[in-house]
Amino acid sequence: MSKGAILIARNNGRLDYVKQAVFLAKRITHYLDIPVSVITDSEDYLKNSFDYTVFDQIISIPWTEVKNNRIFFDGSLAHKTAPFKNDIRDQVYDLSPYDETLLLDTDYIISNDLFKSCFELTNNLMMFKESYDVAKSRNEKEFKYISDYSVDFYWATVVFFRKSPEVQTFFNLVKHVKDEWNHYRRVYQIGSSLFRNDFAFSIAAHIMNGFDKGSFVGTLPGKHYYTIDKDILWQMKDDSMLFLVEKKDYLGEYLPILTKGQSVHVMNKFSLERVINEEENE
Amino acid sequence: MDERLEKALDFSNYMITLNNQKRMLKEKYYESLLYFSNGCQFTVTRELITFVGFLVDKGNTEDIVLTDDNELPAKIADLETFYEDILDVYFTASNEYNSSYEELKKNRKTELLVDYE
Repeated sequence: MSKGAILIARNNGRLDYVKQAVFLAKRITHYLDIPVSVITDSEDYLKNSFDYTVFDQIISIPWTEVKNNRIFFDGSLAHKTAPFKNDIRDQVYDLSPYDETLLLDTDYIISNDLFKSCFELTNNLMMFKESYDVAKSRNEKEFKYISDYSVDFYWATVVFFRKSPEVQTFFNLVKHVKDEWNHYRRVYQIGSSLFRNDFAFSIAAHIMNGFDKGSFVGTLPGKHYYTIDKDILWQMKDDSMLFLVEKKDYLGEYLPILTKGQSVHVMNKFSLERVINEEENE
Repeated sequence: MDERLEKALDFSNYMITLNNQKRMLKEKYYESLLYFSNGCQFTVTRELITFVGFLVDKGNTEDIVLTDDNELPAKIADLETFYEDILDVYFTASNEYNSSYEELKKNRKTELLVDYE
């Protein structure tokens, strides 16, 4: 069976997801030793600006504008509004050239080889349900359930899937949830109209489990460590990352936390890009 | 600022950072205790080691069913090898945890706690 990782890189005028994808592809190759392909609407930019040979395949999709705007914080005191181009994740099942695919957000920074074991585990579909806030001082309720009276939260940040009829049905269902988002967000009591893949994947998991909790979606190895966009990635060297995490109840103040050998979802993409730029300039 | 308070606040910042780093070390340790066999995931706990060791001592070493982290059954063909492997995972992870912890404890300044050079 063929296996590999897939990244999605669609720039929005504010954030350079292509740059992030190139950076992450190198780390995936280093730590997981699997081929990496990218789905992008910026193939020319990728080929003209970066070493695109880090990718096994470049899967080109048309450039589209979206109206799904959201706020991206850069630490607790600065933010920008930008389009949130997140409407293609449900198509990855069809677009992936691999039988076994590890789908990752470009801001999930791989720093160990734990995901190698995904390909050995028997579950055909795995996501993170349990997560861990690196700051550990905030209310994590929003990542436990998709709303106060609703269903379990699954992270769509990292998805492992093995092609099979059931997994195809799951991805088709995610697409349906996305297409009928205004209906499903009301049924599942989601207040915001902003489409989020985490929510769509969680709703699909709930439906596929017979409208209940269940084992249709397996658990990825390890925990989903994350920092939010109000935290700052300050430095990175090899498998170590130094974060400044938001100090609880002290707006604009931070605490340093060093991670070593732990993969972390870095939601502050601006700080991630600064660190990537520093690495490139070294 | 009163010097007594200033010193206490400095120490307070040091302790917050120290506790955060201890917490992250412990998290890394938990991840290091994962062992994969037969398509299943096992967290190597003292309970698992003791139970598997007991089975091996009693001569139950072939085609033994254990439940994994997801409470799914896994038939282990060779339990002696499994036992050796989980012991290796346990000692490797624990020794690394210990050396990282000792290193952390040596640092008496906040900036050294998060210095990765």
